[in-house]
Amino acid sequence: MAIMNSLRKLPRKLLRWETMLVALLVLMCLIFNRQDTARQLAGLSKRDAFNLASVVKGLRPYMLYSFMTLGMMLILAIGDIDISTGAAAALSVAVLGSTYQALCKAGVPAWLALTLSVVICLIAGGLCGAANGLLVTRFNELFPMIITLATQLFYRGIGYLILGGGTMTFKNDATFDLFKKLYNTVEIGGVSVPVMLIYFLLLAVIYYVWIHLTASGRKIFALGTNARATYFSGVQTNRIKLSLFTLCGLMSAVTGIFFVGATSSSIRADSMMGYEMYAIAAAVLGGFSTSGGKGSVIGVVLSLIIFGVMKIGLGTLYGFADSMVNLSVGVILILTTLLPNLIGDAGSLMRLCRRRMQSHVSSRAMQSGSIAPNGK
Amino acid sequence: MKRFVSIVLAVMLVLGVSAAYAEKAGDGLLIGVVYKQSGNPYFQAAVTGFEKAAGELGFTFTHDGPDDGSSDGQIRIIENYIAQGVDAIAVSANDADALVSALQEAKAAGIKVVSWDAPVAAEGRDLDVEPASSKAIALQLLESIADSIDSEGQLAIVSAMATAPNQNLWISFIEDALKNDPAYSKIEYVGTVYGDDEYTKSYDETLGLINLYPNLKGIITPTTAGAPAVAKCVMDEGKSIKVTGLTLASDMAEYIKAGVCDATFLWNPIELGYAAAYAAVALVKGDITGAVGETFDVPGVGTLSIEQSTAVNDVGELAPVDGTISYLNKLNSFTVETVDEWVNIL
Repeated sequence: MAIMNSLRKLPRKLLRWETMLVALLVLMCLIFNRQDTARQLAGLSKRDAFNLASVVKGLRPYMLYSFMTLGMMLILAIGDIDISTGAAAALSVAVLGSTYQALCKAGVPAWLALTLSVVICLIAGGLCGAANGLLVTRFNELFPMIITLATQLFYRGIGYLILGGGTMTFKNDATFDLFKKLYNTVEIGGVSVPVMLIYFLLLAVIYYVWIHLTASGRKIFALGTNARATYFSGVQTNRIKLSLFTLCGLMSAVTGIFFVGATSSSIRADSMMGYEMYAIAAAVLGGFSTSGGKGSVIGVVLSLIIFGVMKIGLGTLYGFADSMVNLSVGVILILTTLLPNLIGDAGSLMRLCRRRMQSHVSSRAMQSGSIAPNGK
Repeated sequence: MKRFVSIVLAVMLVLGVSAAYAEKAGDGLLIGVVYKQSGNPYFQAAVTGFEKAAGELGFTFTHDGPDDGSSDGQIRIIENYIAQGVDAIAVSANDADALVSALQEAKAAGIKVVSWDAPVAAEGRDLDVEPASSKAIALQLLESIADSIDSEGQLAIVSAMATAPNQNLWISFIEDALKNDPAYSKIEYVGTVYGDDEYTKSYDETLGLINLYPNLKGIITPTTAGAPAVAKCVMDEGKSIKVTGLTLASDMAEYIKAGVCDATFLWNPIELGYAAAYAAVALVKGDITGAVGETFDVPGVGTLSIEQSTAVNDVGELAPVDGTISYLNKLNSFTVETVDEWVNIL
């Protein structure tokens, strides 16, 4: 009986979002691997371009928005959205650069200036998020999308005010060049693992424990499922919202810091445009719905890896141009997010059919008189 | 689940079919071209230059640019090329500094790096290939206007910002030649005004010049943003003043056809891509290392020599900086006959 039960549950387990993502990832890897072998056999490629080592190293540029995704997914989990994160990140690094410059000019030792400016950068990011949170909680009648659209333009504008149109660089500044180390790789078992990937996975574990295993994490999903019920059960919903938006801003600043490392420690006001969209896309593919209340950290980690692998594969093995790769990612995103609805529709259709059949059978039975209508 | 698998399989099939785009060569050289933004006709023209060189030199190349014109997009593409094992990367940089780390990684992997059109900082490249030196640009403009006005009469310059270093450098080369070259002895240089690259300001400054010097014969305007305003003003006033400058063909076609400009100039992106390809191949084959004094041949353009890079320093003078550079020193002229070929590209 127990075996029967678990067997009956099996399809549902298979239908779990994370399982599907794993299936998608495996399928992609198989296909890319086949293409890689074909290319090598045809003499199109000089080296084995798609293997564990190349994929892990190749994930690096796609890890940049992973931190922002961690912040974004919780905003989606409570049914809100924040499209100002890219601008908030750019503003944070503008603050980082100008603070460092000012402190160095004032004669502060470089290492202290760096530490202080990183702290101030994180605070700036947090403040950007907190401002979003305050506006969203105070003005219930406004859509978070509109509020954060406004703050996006506002933050981007301040970034330009601070930096102007040019690039801020710190040439031959060994201390500031420490940021470049954030974009390095470390050798682990013959594989160059991006430092960013390690930081991201560590943070993801912390997030996992927090949002899936603690009561305060449960409250986030409760708030996303039914804000009113959560409020009346004594949860301070506005406080949660405010702190999640602040955290999202903070994660944007973290993204910005890694971005500075990626771009050879240079800072521009127009950087990280559209990163909020990558973050939303990754969170949605990871199972977070924009209507709130569901999603998992594992799904997000998988979806970030899927995006990376897909872009690596399409770019290196199929020679897709950057814009074509983005197009394909869009197609996959639409298909995968539509899928639960399609399955849901198919399920309800089947249930409907079954009910029709049953009612058909019972009406036949009635006609044949085996069951007396109205109990007579 | 079945539906899911079938959808994914269908998508993957589509992707599998489109693999036809992959390159064809065997063990020839592979060059990865990176430009600032995809879909930009200027860079599409440059790619035809690479195509031409690929046909002649027998290498294979792939080309790509980020669709948002960002430097992190270019970094992604560069890392992609490193993974593909290209022999050389030819890049037009969105940001001179941001790409340095990525390109240093490429160089560490034995890949030669040529920047073209927009240079990468010296640490990130082996060689920079650029259209024309400041002196060549200045002399070309002066020669053209001298032709138009028969080397006689009053000449003025409408520049961009008074602080723009490249503008001031070109102007100083023009002034030098006017002073020292006997061919220009009959030209009276009346001075430079600044239009700040704004249409109305450039127009008003030109109007002021015309009113102040009724016998003005020629105007040089070495700024793409200011040139249309200058030509429009001359046309509106109905004066027989000739205008030349560094301009886009699309901006100036109207005035070239109206006879306000005999010729305006800009570099040819096709030739630029072509020369960058020749430089990249020469670097990979070891014919050059990117050191000062070396030369390489580009058919139809000439023998290009490698020089020390220069930049305008704080006091407005040209001073040597790190890195080496090669100039094509060949500008493309837009005249009544040629301007229509270029309006959709430049």
